[in-house]
Amino acid sequence: MKIVAVTACPTGIAHTYMAAEQLEKTARALGHEIKVETQGAMGIENELDENEIRQAQVAIFAIDIEIEKRERFRQLKVIQVPVQEAIKNPKSVFHRLQG
Amino acid sequence: MSPGSSNPVEFGFVCPLSDGLHARPASQMAKFVAEFVSQFWLVNQRTGTSANLKSPLAIISADVRGGDTCSIRILGPDQEQAAHALEQFLGQELAKENENSLPIEAALPQTLPRALQSPAITRYPGVPVSPGIGKGKAVVVGRLSLSQPLNGDSPASREQEERRVERAIATLRARLQALLSRSMSAAEKAVLEAHQSILDDVSFTERITASLAAGQSAGEALIATGKYFISLLKSSESAYVRERAVDVEEICLRLLEEIDGPRFGSARVTLEEPSVLVAETLAPQQLLEVDRRWLSGLVLEYAGTTSHAVILARSLGIPAIVGVKDAPVILTAGEQIVVDANRGFVVPNGNPTVHRFYDREWQTQRWRQQALSRHSTARAITRDGQRIEVGANICSGEESAAALAQGAEAIGLFRTEFLFLGRERAPSEDEQFAAYAEAARGAKRRVTIRTIDVGGDKPIPLLNLPTESNPYLGYRGMRIYREHQDLFRTQLRAILRASAVGPVQIMAPMVSTIEEVLWLKEQLGESQEDFERRKIAFDPLLPVGIMIEVPSVAFNLDQFSAEVDFFSIGTNDLNQYFMAVDRDNARVAKLANVRQPSFLRFLKHIVDAVQRNGKWVGMCGEMAGDVRNLPLLLGLGLHGISVSSPEIPALKRTISRFSVHECRQLLLEAIECARLEEVDELLRNFTSHEPVQPLLDPELVIVNSDSRTKEEAIRELIDSLYIASRTENPDHLEGLVWAREQTCSTGLGDGFAIPHCRSDAVKANSIAILKLDHPIEWDAIDQKPVSTVILLAVRESDTSNAHLQVLAKLARRLMNAQFRDEVSQLKESGEILTHLSRELQIPLQPQ
Repeated sequence: MKIVAVTACPTGIAHTYMAAEQLEKTARALGHEIKVETQGAMGIENELDENEIRQAQVAIFAIDIEIEKRERFRQLKVIQVPVQEAIKNPKSVFHRLQG
Repeated sequence: MSPGSSNPVEFGFVCPLSDGLHARPASQMAKFVAEFVSQFWLVNQRTGTSANLKSPLAIISADVRGGDTCSIRILGPDQEQAAHALEQFLGQELAKENENSLPIEAALPQTLPRALQSPAITRYPGVPVSPGIGKGKAVVVGRLSLSQPLNGDSPASREQEERRVERAIATLRARLQALLSRSMSAAEKAVLEAHQSILDDVSFTERITASLAAGQSAGEALIATGKYFISLLKSSESAYVRERAVDVEEICLRLLEEIDGPRFGSARVTLEEPSVLVAETLAPQQLLEVDRRWLSGLVLEYAGTTSHAVILARSLGIPAIVGVKDAPVILTAGEQIVVDANRGFVVPNGNPTVHRFYDREWQTQRWRQQALSRHSTARAITRDGQRIEVGANICSGEESAAALAQGAEAIGLFRTEFLFLGRERAPSEDEQFAAYAEAARGAKRRVTIRTIDVGGDKPIPLLNLPTESNPYLGYRGMRIYREHQDLFRTQLRAILRASAVGPVQIMAPMVSTIEEVLWLKEQLGESQEDFERRKIAFDPLLPVGIMIEVPSVAFNLDQFSAEVDFFSIGTNDLNQYFMAVDRDNARVAKLANVRQPSFLRFLKHIVDAVQRNGKWVGMCGEMAGDVRNLPLLLGLGLHGISVSSPEIPALKRTISRFSVHECRQLLLEAIECARLEEVDELLRNFTSHEPVQPLLDPELVIVNSDSRTKEEAIRELIDSLYIASRTENPDHLEGLVWAREQTCSTGLGDGFAIPHCRSDAVKANSIAILKLDHPIEWDAIDQKPVSTVILLAVRESDTSNAHLQVLAKLARRLMNAQFRDEVSQLKESGEILTHLSRELQIPLQPQ
């Protein structure tokens, strides 16, 4: 599956990146293709472009705050979870994709 | 002068001191006018009160506040001279008092440490006036009162009563004198001298005499006099003046004790274990009497921030809080209490958590002090390994030890004229020797003694220097030495004698020609010959140097270098002569800027010329004390700078950030500038590129921590930032970390937690690491206890910089089980640092 994801936490210095790491690692293990955009203290990094979003089948938001440029994902199915869940139990986040 | 004139001289003045004419300026004024025969009166136009200027108490009682208009009337044979001198004193010396007043810092809005937040903990709030944490047994001190009846005292003859008072005053004066002869801090000395000045005050003694004349007994007269002045002082609108009432009260009580037996009763205390004094109010000598080994804090109900008790507490470093309502009633004698004078409250009967918190806090404060003093004892070395000597400017021998404690590497300027100011006769050779020798012993480093520099802006009565229309261009500095040869020789001899005690060198002020130097060396040579004949020890190689203050010297440096051993640039005068600006004239003072490109070029010419001749050149003016000028001074290639002691630690720290090579480039660019603004712009750009502190630092790694709870672990990490001076507000930072914990726990699992915060309350981005001896509960995602805690503290205003990338990398690495495993195995701080810096690819030293 082609997945796009966004992670964002209030302080933006640790959990945003830990969640991104977990999502990337787990996706690889489960055989998915994923690109994770981080919205942290350094602003938007690894930004998803229109093309990538269009080609994706689903978006995962592991966020504890409102994100920027949410409108990009209007046409896409979005699974939203707390950052903590992506860190603690990333597999369960991917299980939801099947549901 | 108009001897016997019957018309007084009158002039007006506006009080320039924001705190008004309080005790210190009042006693200075009284001391100053005491040198004249004339009578002086001051009338405060606002209140209509008049005061005898020779009485400090009367001056204080006149309640002159900042901005009050006063008129001064002088009558007597020397009234003209007195008026002139006093006007100068009011305009110059008095205005300097503003710099000496102690500002009280407003309390910060505070977040309490979590350990103190429990509703079960009682806290009595107050105003912190002397910082620190004090723990000890509450000792409640009884109140002083003049109202107690006398012990059946019936007046004898008036003469007998007068003698009783005189004897009491003499006894108390002798006791104060004895106290003053001990070594003590400047603040203690000032308090005791203030008490002495009450005893010597003409209004005070006149009042007693008047009461005795009215038929009162000695005791009654003292009580009446005390009450009179207390009510006068207490009715003042100035808090400072009101606080002087307790001083008068104490003096009267002590005099009464001499006449009427013990009066202090419960107000006299003996300490036998660490104690906190709790009182309504405390008289200064009461405080000086207690055994300081056991005095760990003060809690007072009524005491102003400028009361002598508070000033003393501050100078002795005793934590103190005032304004604690009903303190002697709500705090029980004998219970263990904590005075938190950093946060402003008293904690009675704290629980074990509170006590443990404060024990750790106390340790933290000590470590921070040690960390700060490490900076001050290190030598000043630039980033590229160049040395510049940072010395201190002092005015008295006793200041040298304090200068050494601040990190002075030498005494670059001993301003000896301060030994002569306010004196009727010049200090003797022995007295001067004592001062110079004390400086040499206290500093344990080279002391540059500048011979007396008076005239111009520094008139001294004892020399009777003529009044000049243009004093800065007049009879000043070494120009007066020929006329006052005896005085100068006495000084030379005192300095020569001190040269046998420690490394001293002599420096002459306001030199303009070679002849002056030759004359000075001739005088010195004669004294040396005399010393040899009389077998008095001295240093035959005593270096001789001069100040560069007069531009003529700058263009004769090859010749001067043949005659002297060193030079010191006095930027204040040099700049004023160079720019043709009287710095006291507000209309033109702005022109006297030491960063004018022309002046920088001039300085470069001087330093280059001296160095060409292989001599030492330093700077001791205000330019050197301003840390903003530092890159320019390093660029000039000065061998040393000398500044006032408090500026030393910051200067030394800053020096270590610069490279002389870069500073030299900067100076070359600066002297090419046409305008001052361009120089300032260059400097701004230059200093904004100072290297930042590294993320990781050995100071921020704690192994074998004994923290028992999440609360303690977080605090310990925050404290490590505080010890390393990476934050000045640990409570605030702790609050932010906890706020973050509330959104979701930072326990990552596998025994790791990464609490974090983003705030400019942290001065440098930091990673602090704690390895716990015993794992603690953290509410981690796997519910397992935590044994490695990594605190990330990031500045709010730093966006998208390299540090954030490193932290993001660390966060990602922490998701890797192998990385976590490796880090949790590491036991030593060195290993941890090396491992992390390798994994995260960051250097451990600042770039």
